[in-house]
Parts: sequence; C-alpha cells; structure tokens
Amino acid sequence: MTISKRLSLSLHLKTAHYHLAARVLFVCLSTSLWPSVSHASTSPDKIWSEIESRGRNQDVYFHAWGGDPQINMYILWVAEQVKQRYSINLHQVKLTNTSEAVSRVLSERSAENHHNGQVDMVWINGENFASMAQHQLLTPNWVSQLPNFSLTNPEHNPAMTRDFGVPTQGMEAPWGQASLSFYYNSTATTVPPLTLLQLLDWSQDHPGRFTYPKPPDFLAMSFLKYALIMLNDAQPTAIKERLYQPASPQSEALLLPVLWQFLDELHPSLWRKGQHFVSSGMTLRRLVGDGELNLAFTFSAAEIPAAIARFDLPSSTRSYKMQDGSLSNIHFVAIPYNAAHIDSAKLVINFLLSPEAQAKKQHIEMWGDSTVLDRSLLTLTQQTLFSTQTAKQDNKQTIPDAAATSMAHYVASPALSEPHPSWTQIIAQQWLSRYGVKP
Amino acid sequence: MAESLWGETMIAANTLFTRVVSFSPSVMVTLIVLPVLAGLLGVILPAFGWVPALGSTEFGLHGFEQLMATPGMSRMVMLSFTTSLISTLLAFIMTTLILASYFSSPWLKRIQRLLGPLLVIPHAAAAIAIGFLIAPSGMVSRLVSPWLSGWTSPPDWLYPHDAMGISIIIGLTIKELPFLLLIALGVLAQPDIGNTLRSQHRVALSLGYSPMTAFFKIVLPSLYPYLRLPVLAVLAYASASVEIPLILGPNTPPTLAVAIMQWFNDVDLSLRIKASAGALLQISVTLALLTIWWLLERLVKRLSINSLINGRRDYRDLLWQRITHLLTVLLLSVIGLSLFGMLLWSVAGFWPYPMAIPQQWVGMHWQSALVQMHAPLINTVLIGICSTALAIIITVFVLEAEQQRGKNLSAISSVIIYLPLLIPSITFLFGLVWLQEQVNSHHAFINVVLAHLLFVLPYVFLSLANSYRRVDPRYAAVAASLGAAPVKIFWQIKLPMLLAPILIAIALGLAISFSQYLPTLLAGGGRIETITTEAVALANGASRRVSAVYALMQMFLPAIAFLVAWLIPNILFRRRV
Repeated sequence: MTISKRLSLSLHLKTAHYHLAARVLFVCLSTSLWPSVSHASTSPDKIWSEIESRGRNQDVYFHAWGGDPQINMYILWVAEQVKQRYSINLHQVKLTNTSEAVSRVLSERSAENHHNGQVDMVWINGENFASMAQHQLLTPNWVSQLPNFSLTNPEHNPAMTRDFGVPTQGMEAPWGQASLSFYYNSTATTVPPLTLLQLLDWSQDHPGRFTYPKPPDFLAMSFLKYALIMLNDAQPTAIKERLYQPASPQSEALLLPVLWQFLDELHPSLWRKGQHFVSSGMTLRRLVGDGELNLAFTFSAAEIPAAIARFDLPSSTRSYKMQDGSLSNIHFVAIPYNAAHIDSAKLVINFLLSPEAQAKKQHIEMWGDSTVLDRSLLTLTQQTLFSTQTAKQDNKQTIPDAAATSMAHYVASPALSEPHPSWTQIIAQQWLSRYGVKP
Repeated sequence: MAESLWGETMIAANTLFTRVVSFSPSVMVTLIVLPVLAGLLGVILPAFGWVPALGSTEFGLHGFEQLMATPGMSRMVMLSFTTSLISTLLAFIMTTLILASYFSSPWLKRIQRLLGPLLVIPHAAAAIAIGFLIAPSGMVSRLVSPWLSGWTSPPDWLYPHDAMGISIIIGLTIKELPFLLLIALGVLAQPDIGNTLRSQHRVALSLGYSPMTAFFKIVLPSLYPYLRLPVLAVLAYASASVEIPLILGPNTPPTLAVAIMQWFNDVDLSLRIKASAGALLQISVTLALLTIWWLLERLVKRLSINSLINGRRDYRDLLWQRITHLLTVLLLSVIGLSLFGMLLWSVAGFWPYPMAIPQQWVGMHWQSALVQMHAPLINTVLIGICSTALAIIITVFVLEAEQQRGKNLSAISSVIIYLPLLIPSITFLFGLVWLQEQVNSHHAFINVVLAHLLFVLPYVFLSLANSYRRVDPRYAAVAASLGAAPVKIFWQIKLPMLLAPILIAIALGLAISFSQYLPTLLAGGGRIETITTEAVALANGASRRVSAVYALMQMFLPAIAFLVAWLIPNILFRRRV
C-alpha cells in the first residue's frame, strides 16, 4: 500500500468513525509497515520462513461454501495435508452463502474486534470480494509473500490479479478456475442447443424443461451475463467494451434492452412459465434428476459424473460448453483483516497453490476444478501430476463407465470474461423489478 | 384461604433453596431481556440509518423509503399475513376437531403417538418432505402416473411455490397442528384438569349431549385459556418463519420474512438498512396478527355465548365426526406418504419418473452420511442437553417462585418470556452476535447454548407453566403444616406429581434445540456443526438422497426423547398400580 493510499484510507475512515479509524489505521500501519521495514534487512525467503515458524501448530477456520460433498472431501484432504506438514488443524466452516462470512467480519468490526476475528480464510470471488474490499475487510498485500504464487505467473497472466475486473491488490490468492457448462438428459433431448439463440428455440420446442435460478444467485447472474455478452456481440467494439467498465446510465441504455427483449421471449417457455425461479444451481441439478428439467447449467461440470455415480442424475446426462462462448472466472481465497491466525492461513493458502494440491483438485474424481498454475513454470515431475493419463486411470476405478462418458461430449468454446462487477447489481435490480413480481 | 396460608408458610422459611428460587425470575428475565434488547437495538438503529460499520451515522428514514419502494412490497406483507393466519386457524380448528371427536376414545393417544414425531421434524426437513409429495415429480404424481394421468414426464404445474401460498399453508398447518395437539394433551394429562374435564364431559353425555357438542360446550371453554399462549406463539412464529416459505412458497415475490433474510444475506451490505426497516415492519405485521386473533377470540366468544346454554344437544355431530375422520386420515396419509418418500429417497438408487418406487436400492447414502455425521451428532446432543437442562431448571424455579410469592409473574415478565418467539429470529440474532462480540466471548459452544436457550426456554415455560400453576396447592399446604421444608415439598411432592409434564417439556426443549438452524450458525460463528446445520446446508445442495438421510436423523433424535418422555411415567404408573 502506498503512502498516499494509506492517507486517503485514513481520511476516509476518519470522516466515518474516528475511533474505528484510529484503530484500523494502527492495524494498517503495523501490518503494512512491518514487512517494508524488515524488507530492507531480510529476503523474501527469510520472511516466509518466519511466517512458517509462527504459523505452525494452530487452528485455522476456513469459511467456504459447503453445498458440494466433493469439494468438502477435497478440503478434508487439504486438512490432512496441512496437519502433516505444519500441525495446522484446518476446520471448514460450511457456509450456505459466502455473504454469511462477510456479515461475520462486518459484525466483528462493528464490535471493534480488530485482531481476534473468527474467520481466518474465506473462499470468495466477484461481488463478495468487491464488497469486502470496498469496506476494507481484507488483509492487503500478502499474496506476493507466498512462494507458490509465482507459479501462477502473475506478470504474464493478469487474470490472477483481477477478480471480475477489479484489481485484487494482493488481498486474495487465486485458487481455481471454472467456466459455464451446460448439461442435458440425452434420452429426453438428442440435440442440445449450442448457442444462446438456439437455446431460445429449444426452450420453445420443449416448454417447461429449462429454467435458470432467481437473481441475485451467482449462477443466475452468470447466465444473464452470458446472455448479455452474446446478445451484444454484434455491437461495435467501443460499445461492447463498456461491459468491462463501471456501468453508467448511458451504457445501460446501449446494452441492456436486448437482454430484456430476449428474456421476455424466453420466459413463457420456461419451467413454471417463469412464474417461479429456483433458488440455486443445485436445485437445477435436482430438477434434472427428477426429470422436471432436461437442460441446465453449472460452473463445475466435473460434479456431473460424481452426481451420476451417486444416482442424483440419470446416467444419460451429458455436459458440454456452448459454441458461442462460455463465461469463465477465477475464484480466490482471502484473509479477513482481523483474522486470528493470519500466518497459519498463509501457510494453508500457499499449500493450496502447490502443484500437488492443484493437481489433486483438477482430477475429475476429486473436484475437476481447473488449476490456476502456469504449467510451463512447473518441473517435469510436477507436470506429470496433472497428466490426464493418471486422471483417466483413476476415473475407471472410481466412476462407472456411463458416468465417465458424460464428459465426452465437448464443443470448442471461446472463453468469455466476466463483466465489471457493477453490472451485477444493476442487472439483478432491474431483473427483480421486471420479473420479480408476477401480476 | 389455603392460598394465603400456604404463601405465608413459604415466605417464613428463608432457606438457601427459597432464596435461590426467589432470585430465579430475575435471572430468567435478564437472560431473555438482555439479548432481546441488544437484538432490538441491532435492528432499530440500522433501520433508522445508523450503521457505523458501513460508514453510515446519520439518522433518517432512508431505510423505510427503500423498503416501501421495493417492488411487490404489499404482496409480501399480504402473503405473510394470509398464510400465517389461515394456517394457524386451520391447525387450531383441526386440533379441536380431533380432540372433540376422539376425546374419550383410545384413538386420541394413538393419534398423539402418530403425530408426536412430526412435531420434532425440523421445519426445513418437513418442507422438503411435503414438497416432494406435491411436486410435479412428487409421490402423488408418481402414484397416478402413467396409468391414470397418462404422464410419462412430470407435468408443469405450479405446486409447490404457488403464488397464493397454499403450499405454505399446507406446510405450516401440518407443522403447527401436532404442537397444539401435544400442548392440549399435556394440559389434559394433568390429573386435576384432565379428570375434572373428563368427568364434566361424562356428565354432559349422560344428559344426552352428543360427544362433540359436549366437548365444544363443556370442555373447550375451560381448555382454551391454556391453549391461548401456545396458539399466539404459533401464529407469531408462522408469520415470521423462513424455512417453510423458502422451500414451499413463491419467490416472485416471497413472504416478507424470507425477503428480509435475503436482504440481510445480500452481498450488498447497504441492504442491511432496508432489512432492518423490514424487520420492524415484520414485527408490526406479527403484532397486527396477534391483535386480530385476540379480536377473533372475542368475536367468537360473543357469538357463541348463547349457544353454550341453549340446551341444544346435537349439531349434526355424526356428520362432523365423519368429516373429522376424513381429515384425520388425510392428514395422517399426507404425513405418512411424506415420511415414506423420505425413507425411499434415503435408500434410492435409480428412481426415474414416473416410477412409484426406486428401481434400485442402495445403502451408500447412509454409509457416507454416517461417516461424516459423527461430530455433528455429538454437538447436537450436547447442546440440546445443556440448553434444555438450563431451561428446565430456570422454568421450574421460576414457577416455584411464583407459588412462594403466591402470585403469578407480572404481565410484563410474562410477555418478555415470549419475546424471542415474537421477533423474527434473523434480525434478533444479528443483535445477539453483536452482543456476544461486545462481551468478547469466543466460546462458541457456550454462545450457541445460550442462543438456543432463548428459543428453548419460552417453549419449555409454555409447556410447563400451566401444569405447574394448576398443581393443587392443598398438597403443599398439608405437607407444610406437617412441617416439611419448602425444599422437601418441592422435590418430594411437586416434582413427582409433575413428572409427566416435565418430561414432555424436556422432550420438547430437546426437539426445539435440535431443530435450531440460524442460532447455531450465527452464535457459533459457523464453527459448531449440528445435524440441522448440516441438513440445511445439504438441503440447499443437489442431493435429495443425502438430505433425506439427514432429515431422518433429525427426526430420529427427538423421537427418542419423546419416546422416553412417554415411557417413564407409564412404567412408574404401572409400578404404583
């Protein structure tokens, strides 16, 4: 953090609340000055080994969405690993919504608990990050201390330091990446729609067999953003670019009308005729399992084979990416500003970024979440950890053949980047006032 | 005469026991008032714009303006209003019909045993079970497809989630009815009240009154005063409950309480101000409902006063009896089918629509769940025992203090006890967490127990107060005149006489504690996992099978408690005979 930024932060806080400002300023100064003072005398290695010695033998509370048993199993595996390496007891606090962790930190700050917070690590991205960053609820400038962070090649890969277009300022470390994938029941429909416009036709041919969650759900917003990007694809570049800048009334007037027009056409053929929307992507999956829907979408297509193996989805389920593009984003791990075990959290996050942990996570049978590491920076041994060969062998042992083939159907799909987070709120608000109240 | 003699005797005996007892009402009131005030403060201040953590320190009506500008606001309020009032009315009417119809029959006990377990199913699990019954791919639809309906894939009908809230009403009614019935049976289980009412009922029968008419003319007017508070608590709960409307209700727009919860959870932290304003609106909606119930009560009283003494012996009783039988059978089959559906899901492999039963049976859902269930299970039981034990001790001491003083709690204290049931818990708990932060308490376990206590205590008090207050004071007076110390009277006369209601109160307390979701999550900072927090997290997940396993576990635990509560008096009673 530069001096001027620190000053503007302190000024901003003073106007808000004097006592709080004084305390936060103290925390900021003490945490940000300390490394810069010691930087002169010690190398990054030295700093890291100090973090390592301070971080051992502690409890770490990792607040992470807990709705997927596969992801929970992976975190359990991470817990075993950091227990062995650092004697750290990693506890997953299973959230149903990440904003619960945001509220937690906020209420701690309003109670002036600035040092002994209950949240040590939080799995986060997009709006939650923008919100926490805006309210200074995160520890800044620590990510570059992690030895494994350099493996993501941040200099050549700006996506690792931007979350929905907002600079992360070292407040969160990348953990994995995902892209919007669709899946369908191949016995109910043989030819799935491959573009957004085909989706509209498909839905009208199969009334009541497709829907999307209700905004502001994360997956719902992703679908709407995908639609927004595709519907404006034909616009001049100068106008399209506005999606990646903070929204303004002018850019809304240029970009949003096509979205509402599309939804007006789509809604009558949705499940429940668009009079009721499901609450989350998980519910979509259950409805596909029940046969009520034949087409749905998700951010982690890897969950589908596992869901088939657990009988939650029919074995005839197939997943694919839309030909016109798939929205992709990176998810991150952050440390709240008042975390009680900051050093231990750094050790855990550094382990999350290790080739071993990233490779394990990428395996289909584990989680199937794509790595954030730059493969070209890895040693040959490290690269073999990621090799699909091992993944496939593991696959055969753990997943029935029918489930394994569910991933086979694949169409080349350009990656679409997330629009600026300011769009999320605007789309959600306007959606709610347009479709949130049925006559 | 007996009252005053007994009162004097008690006050004269100034022992440690009486001092502890006389101190206990203040303890109870403090334990409830403190968090409630903090909770209220944590709602009122932000509602008027004061949230220093968000940098907002100017008072204003901004939150209310935002609230009123919300699309569908009036629909949300109306939905909360109608669903809670209609469901409470239905549950109350059905409770009285069942009581009237089976008052002097062994079926009352059997129905109680059948409905008892339902009381302990957490709302979320019950909603999921009912949702599965009435959903397009649900049990009802599967049972008639395709042979009758011709459906080979689920139809696209609007239940659950209908805009009128009928699904919510079904869910709430089914959840509220067993509670009211159990409370009523608890009152009737007290020897003096139960025996008096039963003998009065018999006299009426001998005078030629039909059984149901006799119940409504003789028993109900004496029984209702004991049911008033439970009914009001049910009404207040229904108006602000979140789980059932969330799972069964519409969301374009949802009920007010659900909307408030979503604003509180929104990533846009400034929505907190609107959410707090909404919480104040919710409190006024709840208060309005309570007032309406009170007015309805007076209206019914005024209208029925003549018919009570007009001497008419029969009001088409046979017809009403048949209707009640039909309703009871319908109710039990809805419950039975829902539970059966849950059981099937927990062991189901492939189960495509429209098959009525699964194609394949597997134990993997139970196996994997049982492995992960270990720690949550221990937490659930420990927290339940601690909070219920505290609640029972406080309740019994407070009720004993009432008797030593010779008068009931003041009106204010009585209302305070029920405050946690009247304030939407999400708003109130935000304040509680804030308070726990203020006192710098990081003992998550203790915080959770205390948070549970806030919800367990009112129910335990509610379930025990009437029984305790109705204990014939002459027993104590006689014992005191024979020289028994208050502590001896308490332990050796009152508690044994009250064994059955106390055990029911314990079982109820455990059930309430087991089913708490938000208090566990918020006060524990998410660190304390219970079966319920896991079940709700999984209910939002994609696997109906795994959540069926957790929901069944959730029912299993309190069912044991109720089984024990039912068994112990039976065994003791048999021994005495």
